[in-house]
Amino acid sequence: MKKFVPYLTQKPISTYHIIQIVLGIIFSVYLLWRLYQVFIANPTYGPDTWARFAISGIVLGSVYALIAIGYTLVYGILFMINFAHGDVMMIGAFGGYFVFEALSFVPSPTPANPEEVFLNAHPIISVILAFAVGVSVSALSGYLLERVAYRPLRNAPRLVPLISAIGASIFLQNAAQLLFGAQRRDYTNPEQITRGQGWGIPIGESTVILTYTGVLTFVLSILIMLGLYLLVKRTRLGRAMRAVAENKSTAALMGINVDRVISQTFIISGALAGAAGVMWGIHLGLVFHFVGFLPGIKAFTSAVLGGIGNIPGAMLGGLFLGMVETTGPAILGIDFQLKDVIAFSILVLVLIFRPTGILGEVLSEEKA
Amino acid sequence: MKTQLRNGLQTGLAFWLISAFLFLIGFTDTAAVLFGDIIHDEDLRPGFGLTTGMVNMLFFLGLLGIWAGARAARAARAPGEALAAGIAAGLVHGLGVGGLAWLVGTLHESKVRMSTYLAQLLPETIQLFVLEKAPAEAAAWHFVLLLATGFAGGLLGFFLGRPGWREAIAAGWRQLSSHAGSLSTLQRIRASRAFGPSLAVLGIIVLFTLPLRLDQYWNYTLGTVGIYVLLGLGLNIVVGLAGLLDLGYVAFFAVGAYTVALLTAPAPHKLLWSFWVALPIGVLLAALAGVLLGIPVLRMRGDYLAIVTLGFGEIIRILSRSDILTGFTGGPKGVLNIGGPQFMPRLFSNEINFLYLILLCVFLAIFITVRLQHSRIGRAWEAMREDETVAGAMGINTLQYKLLAFAIGAAFAGLGGVLFASRNQFTGPEDHNLMVSINVLAVVIVGGMGSIPGVIAGAFVLKGLPEVLREMEDYRIVLFGALLVIMMLIRPEGLLPSSRRKLEVHQQDPNQPDEPIRGRL
Repeated sequence: MKKFVPYLTQKPISTYHIIQIVLGIIFSVYLLWRLYQVFIANPTYGPDTWARFAISGIVLGSVYALIAIGYTLVYGILFMINFAHGDVMMIGAFGGYFVFEALSFVPSPTPANPEEVFLNAHPIISVILAFAVGVSVSALSGYLLERVAYRPLRNAPRLVPLISAIGASIFLQNAAQLLFGAQRRDYTNPEQITRGQGWGIPIGESTVILTYTGVLTFVLSILIMLGLYLLVKRTRLGRAMRAVAENKSTAALMGINVDRVISQTFIISGALAGAAGVMWGIHLGLVFHFVGFLPGIKAFTSAVLGGIGNIPGAMLGGLFLGMVETTGPAILGIDFQLKDVIAFSILVLVLIFRPTGILGEVLSEEKA
Repeated sequence: MKTQLRNGLQTGLAFWLISAFLFLIGFTDTAAVLFGDIIHDEDLRPGFGLTTGMVNMLFFLGLLGIWAGARAARAARAPGEALAAGIAAGLVHGLGVGGLAWLVGTLHESKVRMSTYLAQLLPETIQLFVLEKAPAEAAAWHFVLLLATGFAGGLLGFFLGRPGWREAIAAGWRQLSSHAGSLSTLQRIRASRAFGPSLAVLGIIVLFTLPLRLDQYWNYTLGTVGIYVLLGLGLNIVVGLAGLLDLGYVAFFAVGAYTVALLTAPAPHKLLWSFWVALPIGVLLAALAGVLLGIPVLRMRGDYLAIVTLGFGEIIRILSRSDILTGFTGGPKGVLNIGGPQFMPRLFSNEINFLYLILLCVFLAIFITVRLQHSRIGRAWEAMREDETVAGAMGINTLQYKLLAFAIGAAFAGLGGVLFASRNQFTGPEDHNLMVSINVLAVVIVGGMGSIPGVIAGAFVLKGLPEVLREMEDYRIVLFGALLVIMMLIRPEGLLPSSRRKLEVHQQDPNQPDEPIRGRL
């Protein structure tokens, strides 16, 4: 649909736009030159390394995408950044961790091995249980978060709920540190899906390992995203959510319980973050109180990249960011220590130059 | 009646979660120690096989129980209703905490080491919580205590909360204050023109003689508070006056700290400049950084600005600890032996004199802020904070004033960084993490956005009080987080708000629609 743009609101091209365009061209040229250098002129890495980068990028990206959807859902409805979303993911990761730990103590003797534990005897049930617990605790904390820290502030000036969200994030992080200690913990996976093991794919002269955990993470997150898409597009709840996002008072007049829909949105976004947290633990293996911070920021970056409020955008943004994070340092020829700087730079640049994201709608100035 | 019971059950559930959480983070121990410090109860000999520590812990839990009861009875209209609500709350609270005590006690008896997973559940904490009794007995103690306090709290909340009582108390207070106010000498003193200035002079005299009477530790603490006042005043200009939420404030602090570090330290550059030269350079560079950060983010508002500044802060932190800059900034190890101020040899060399320097800077900052706030610039900032579009329409060059706010705020932060690094004679990446930004933000928010007394009060409450309550050290940051939320919920204008801000927060902003007009999923 073509939008009607009144003549007077069409802005003339300003210096700002010119700077934007010039910087964009310079950066694109530099990027092309680097790509040429890396791939054609003097390739530093073989195709197997690139395949490894791509695999880990896609897996990481699918986790980011799940978290990003949570940001996007909440932003779409409340127009606020749920700062504590990364920490909700951390809670989910801890939930899954404790399930695996507990199951690794439950004896489940089999004829072959009388000292077998439940975790290894029934890996599928264990993984399902871990996801169930991780998703539920995250959904619950998402619900409580909205109830305690955001709902009373719904009509307050914009800075107020934002500060409350920052406070909630700090609180959750440090509460987790007090509860579970500051040490980093290793996820005990069922031995069938030990980290690092997988199918070997020969590429060139070496083999690239397609890990079981990676495949699990990717497939599961794609399934969840499909489910979510259907939920938003096809179900009654999804329709209610879209209506509330469009206009709260009209939605209320149409008989939608706005408060309940907002609660449900937070529950869904918390559940997605919880699933992402358990995946993070299973695939990357490390969980501690601060584990949600960086994925949180990066997922937010993905959400912004895809246009905040836009669910397919968040998915694409997440995958894109995952790829950039793993291949970016190699392409740009910088230290791998600085991969987080790349993510932050993308965040800053996108927000500065294209706050509506790649697929985003044109937000009014008030919202951006 | 039904609503009362529901209120009671909900409140009981909430307080059970709170009590359980406090126990799981080991706060019951800390509370017992704190109460012990306050009451000094060595001579107390409680019976029933309890130690004083346990009595203190139970006292703390009892307070929670009373609060739960009072909170449950908030909507009660008759004593019976209040009683029902209080008992319902006490019942749930008591059952929950009793159950927790039983569970933990049983696990402890069967020698399960819970501290592997729940870090604070050390044997001593558990022993204190189950009162060194059998699990079932401990559970009964907790249940009875919380039920009884819930009951008492319900009644107490009802009678104290009655409008009649409130009015009586308020009237009594008014009478008392008017009586005190009408004492002729007091009134005359307050009315005299010299009152304000003489109070200020008195305050200054106290502040400047105080360091001499305090030991090194307290001077150091006061110095930290002073530096946070400085940082808070700077952020207050950006957030409180201009309404730009900056989460990367620590970046400017880092610029100041690293400037003085690199210019005066023997390694890594061996420049060994004088502190007095490095100080203005640090402040200027920080202000420049403020402008540089300000230019790209000028067009953003609210949430996006917060995220972008956060991103900038993190980029700076990652760069400062990465290997590429190690040669230039000392990398993760930081910079040692940063030079201190020297003026007429050795005058500023110790803690006391350094505190004077900090105080001087704080006074300077307060003076600048006051003059700015009441000038054309300050009014422009506040107009911009209220409504940028309207401010622009009124002829305020918003871009320019935003940059100015960023620059001045950054200059204060740079000054704070210079003083901080020079006083500690060390600076490193860990001095400049996100928590500094959050601490300063908390100082401004808790004190009251846009209010100078508020910032000072906030710095004392958030940086000074934890030093007094040493036992609370572990819980400081978690408390900051909770405090930010709680302040936003119950007193978004802060402890000592500026009068304008107070009006603004409590009035529905006519320009703020109830919800944004349009969105999309």
